[in-house]
Amino acid sequence: MRSSVLAVGTVVDLELRQRVRSTAWYVLLGVAAVLLLSVTLLLLATAGIFGRDGGPQTVSAVVFFVLLLGTLVTPALSGGAINGDRDAGTLATTQVTLIRGWQLVLGKFLAAWTAALAFLVVALPFLLIAAAFGGADPAVLLTALAVTVLELGVIAALGVGFSAVISRPIFSVVTTYLVVAALSLGTLVAFGLGGLVAPVKVTNTSVFYSEGAFDADGKLVRPVCDPPVVQTYDVPSYDRLWPILAANPYVVLADAVPGRFDRTGSPVDAFAALKVAERGVQVPIARTSYHSDCDPSRDTDDQRRPESVLASTVPTWTVGLAIHLVLAVLALLAAVRAVRTPARRLARGTRIA
Amino acid sequence: MDPAGIVVEGVRRSFGSTHAVRDMRFSASPGRVTGLIGPNGSGKTTLLLMLATLLAPDAGTIRIGGIDPVRDPVAARAIIGWMPDVLGSWASLTTRTTLELTGRLYGLPKPRAAARADELIALVGLGDLADRPTRVLSRGQKQRMSLARALVHDPSVLLLDEPASGLDPEARVDLRLLVRSLAAEGRTVLVSSHVLAELEEMADDAVYVQQGATVDPDRLEALREGPRTWRVRAEDPAALDAALAGRADLDEDHLGRLVPVRDEAEAADLLARLIGAGVRVVAFAPASGELERTFLELSKESRA
Repeated sequence: MRSSVLAVGTVVDLELRQRVRSTAWYVLLGVAAVLLLSVTLLLLATAGIFGRDGGPQTVSAVVFFVLLLGTLVTPALSGGAINGDRDAGTLATTQVTLIRGWQLVLGKFLAAWTAALAFLVVALPFLLIAAAFGGADPAVLLTALAVTVLELGVIAALGVGFSAVISRPIFSVVTTYLVVAALSLGTLVAFGLGGLVAPVKVTNTSVFYSEGAFDADGKLVRPVCDPPVVQTYDVPSYDRLWPILAANPYVVLADAVPGRFDRTGSPVDAFAALKVAERGVQVPIARTSYHSDCDPSRDTDDQRRPESVLASTVPTWTVGLAIHLVLAVLALLAAVRAVRTPARRLARGTRIA
Repeated sequence: MDPAGIVVEGVRRSFGSTHAVRDMRFSASPGRVTGLIGPNGSGKTTLLLMLATLLAPDAGTIRIGGIDPVRDPVAARAIIGWMPDVLGSWASLTTRTTLELTGRLYGLPKPRAAARADELIALVGLGDLADRPTRVLSRGQKQRMSLARALVHDPSVLLLDEPASGLDPEARVDLRLLVRSLAAEGRTVLVSSHVLAELEEMADDAVYVQQGATVDPDRLEALREGPRTWRVRAEDPAALDAALAGRADLDEDHLGRLVPVRDEAEAADLLARLIGAGVRVVAFAPASGELERTFLELSKESRA
């Protein structure tokens, strides 16, 4: 057990020394810091103009930006972890040591994850600046950071997995980017189009005042109504498609954070806004709606308070995070399989040394 | 058969339709240097990959120090040192760090790995370059680093794939002395090469490979018994030609006259006769090394 931990630690050490701690990596960290600084300052300035308590809004925006930055950098850090070594002729010399395949893969994954987390560390001061402007909730900040840490880990695992299964580093890095894009943007597209595929029929019954209800000035004098008007039309239906949306890392992030609303029920930050929107999707559209001018007490009401929507729906983040963790574990298992020696099968064009 | 060495029997390995190794059988004993000789593409490197526990054979058995590398690769790795033909190195790390980390990958504790790195740097003579990144090393220096890396865990079986390629003459002499001393310590050393002059001076035994198969020892024996060419040079070539007159099987090259003789006794007779005839002989030796001759005879045979 102890020797296994040491072995994995040696691989992490090796990875961080030879792959990560390069000039390019430090430059990238510097660029990230400059970007974060500008975004934070810009957000704080605009929040000031609107005269609102800018803390929570800025914190959520900066966290989203960190997730974006992390998802853009992590594939490059992890996507060549194994086939890059194969190209450089150093994979085989590692495989003939007493390191087991799983220790090699785990070490490379942890190193890529650590490298990605460095970008989160760079972002911390800016998050604290934003939080210092007031109104930021420590619970929100901590949950958001925890989810970001996990999501970057998932992408690191995917990158390491592809780097073991695909023989050329450039293709495995690109594939990792494509998967990140599929999760971040593809889920939105699939969700949007999916809703159009199976529309539902909605019946809308309206009862309006008759013409004689008003006098010449348009004042209501006699509350009599016309017979009901019944309309039927197709509406895109999304309530069964929410698991697609759940696979989106930004949705997972927003949903995991405790939603904060002000007294009027408006979300105080971007997390809560996105959370209400994506949770509302789970609520099936009412198949019938009724409106009557003469008897407003029978009106159907689709105005629900955000708290009640959140309370009555499945926490999306649990599903989303489960999907992501399963993908990550599958990627790492595939990598362990691919570096197994003595090798029985070789991928086409693979040079083992 | 001594279980401490390498024993290979009926080993076969294909990649799709390419039969890289068709049938190899040989053994290499501890305390001896065994040369693995064959043209490019004859399956030497594939065989070494199987011996190094990286590739599984399709058929046949391998025993290294009595261990089956397919069934128990980890136990085999603990006693095998492998120097690949591909000169890979962690480009941004120094030689010292490379050796230390390799030691730790072999399970050495940190201080022991550091001490071992120092020993090996001295052993292969990379002292001046030990703290520079490996990307600045020349090909020959990388070869030496690669050899040091193979020795990190003091293995009892050494697999060296083309260790001499890219080395200058001085480094070759160093390599030869080092390999000989490693074998003298009781290690089994298998060296693949097509630089035959190199192996000639280094190897005790030779295994010939041709088109994925080891050459049958009986066939080698037959080749060894065939006539062999000796090169003779004299102070006065005309006197030499006169003494050799009457022989129809003579040849010559830029270094001297080439005379086929059946065996060493006949060579000694020839020399005595030349001296007796008053020819002032300045050079009298086999025209090619034993390994080279066998190698060339084999290629000639397989072409025929």
